[in-house]
Amino acid sequence: MSSATGIIGQVRGRSVPSLSDEDRNLLLVLPGLFLFSAFMFFPMIYVVYLSMTGANAVNMFNPERPVPFVWFDNYLSLFFADEATQSLGTFVSMFLSDPLSVWDGQFWNSFLLTWLFLGISVVLKIGFSLSLAVVVTAKNVRGSRLMRAFLIMPMGLPGVFTISIWRGIFSSSRFGLFNQLLNFLGLGTVSWLGERWPAFLSYIVTEMWLAYPFMLIITASALQDVPEDIMDAAKVDGAGFFHRFRHVTIPAIKRPVLFATILTAAASFQQVLIPYIFNSGGPSRKNELILVYAYREAFDVSTPNYGLGSAISVTAILFIGMFMWLNVKKGRLADGVDTE
Amino acid sequence: MSFIGRIARSFADDARNVAGAPRRFAEDAAYTVQGLRDGTVSPKKVAWTIIATLGGILVVGAVLFPLYWIFTQSLSSSGGSIYAAGGFTWLPPKPTLQNYIWVVGDLIVKGYRISVSVPLTGLEVFFETPRIELLDASEHGVTNPSDFKKYMANSMFVAIPTVILAMCVIIPASYALSRRKFILRRKVLFMYVLLTQVGGGLGIAALVALYAIFVQVGIDNNKLALAVYYAGTAVPFNTWLLKTYMDGIPVSYEEAAIVDGAPPWRVAIEVILPLAKAGLGTVFIFTFLTGWTEFLVAQTLLSTDNYTLPVGLYTLIGEYTTPWARFSAFALMFAAPIMLLYLFTQRYIEGGLSFSGMEG
Repeated sequence: MSSATGIIGQVRGRSVPSLSDEDRNLLLVLPGLFLFSAFMFFPMIYVVYLSMTGANAVNMFNPERPVPFVWFDNYLSLFFADEATQSLGTFVSMFLSDPLSVWDGQFWNSFLLTWLFLGISVVLKIGFSLSLAVVVTAKNVRGSRLMRAFLIMPMGLPGVFTISIWRGIFSSSRFGLFNQLLNFLGLGTVSWLGERWPAFLSYIVTEMWLAYPFMLIITASALQDVPEDIMDAAKVDGAGFFHRFRHVTIPAIKRPVLFATILTAAASFQQVLIPYIFNSGGPSRKNELILVYAYREAFDVSTPNYGLGSAISVTAILFIGMFMWLNVKKGRLADGVDTE
Repeated sequence: MSFIGRIARSFADDARNVAGAPRRFAEDAAYTVQGLRDGTVSPKKVAWTIIATLGGILVVGAVLFPLYWIFTQSLSSSGGSIYAAGGFTWLPPKPTLQNYIWVVGDLIVKGYRISVSVPLTGLEVFFETPRIELLDASEHGVTNPSDFKKYMANSMFVAIPTVILAMCVIIPASYALSRRKFILRRKVLFMYVLLTQVGGGLGIAALVALYAIFVQVGIDNNKLALAVYYAGTAVPFNTWLLKTYMDGIPVSYEEAAIVDGAPPWRVAIEVILPLAKAGLGTVFIFTFLTGWTEFLVAQTLLSTDNYTLPVGLYTLIGEYTTPWARFSAFALMFAAPIMLLYLFTQRYIEGGLSFSGMEG
């Protein structure tokens, strides 16, 4: 008997990490962890619950009107067109007559537009900040350190400030800087925020300006670390500027740039403020990136629907989680944890 | 005091550096001209340097142009009109500070009458504090100044508790993560690092739930509750930042203190904290800015009376109704202090951003 408990104890001792005196130090971390979890993880669990209820502004805060639990109805009406979710038969017949007709236009518009925004903005962000980094690290440029300090300055600016300035730049009225420029060039004016694709373009330009300081820090320091001796050897071998860039610089900066790409892609995916401040994801809700769609569905529309808004949020959270996973697998974000 | 002294010294260095720049440039130019004459410097190289430098200046100017533009707008005399006066000009035709006066409004400390009754004698003594007029907006033709001061007070009410609470939980945690080994340490660190990048998006995605919770508990439209929320969201990034900073402090200092017989808590308070002052300053600024600049959550949870500065700025915008000059002045008053603060801490911020060994 006693030997059996001894063995169990041994097994336990091995499989369950035992608490030692040192582990009391965990207590120093717990307050922050608790505070953070209370406002991050708890709402995230709650939003999953809300996404399976019919909560809205009317019944949510009214004790007399219970909030119905509807399982996955919100997701069904989110992904599929309203007529298609009536019954399985109508769904199949609709799908057979026109495969596109069963999908919910607004959600898929928002979802695909988010990826389009991500793709275009990431490519442009990298191109833009890489060219800036080339300028501020070039040997021929005098005062490049000062230039770099100036260029990084907008990083300290609050997002609302930057975005509302760019809204002024793209403003449709007469003071709008971009329209003044177009007028000056004799090209006429564009109603930037009033039309779909011009508005989308203005989002991308603004996103580029918002993100470049961070990208510049990473790419400039990567460019400075390009091994000098290999560069010199390539020069001696008679490689031209583009050959050197292609075969020496790019392999040397690939890792940090990839890292920056993942981070900035995640930032693009989570962009809310630009569409929201520019024109609330308009015109007529065509340019709502996914988080803007979630926010507006829950707060901004005439009949706020918390359940549907939560369902959109949960979908977005899944993709944000994917970016976190990418960070671990491909980026080197978590490498620092292992260094002692 | 030595900390302030060190900042002053580094400022002096920077200033000397900047002041010496023209002289160095002149020496450089003289050397180049001399070299050109002697034939030791090739003209082609000089031409390249000049072209590249001018190109660089042009690029920097173009990229930062929006900031210059907003500055000229804030000085323009179109005032409350929603139309800018004509097209773009490099300097506004009639520069005026009126827009800033509109933002600041009256700065008047009212006169108070304080009466103190002297006991047993039945006498009363009156004091009258003087009325201090620093700025009377109406004298400058501004009749209806902005709510900047109200928004700023609200922002203070949010940002200060945020800083206090956040620092209270961040400092012990980052010390433990940097210096001690304990169960779950790596897991906590790992989670914090991951969340530094996606925390904002997750926060917005969960905003519906947060709102529902706040309303049900009855703490929506409560600035203190909002401050606690901000402190929570500031934990991962700032803990990581301070932890990395503490990692850079040599262990030998602590060992010396331990040999001298200091208990662990004294080592932490008297050795680590003083050495981590710069890191603490950076975290202080960051946590302060969390509360000072956040927009969407504040706009969702607070009602008009409690609006903070970013939300106040947003209320000024409307497609055809933005009084652009006034808006610019408001925006600059909001952002310029932050930008200056950022300039001073830039080195630390960049140091913190390079946490993932991107350098090598």
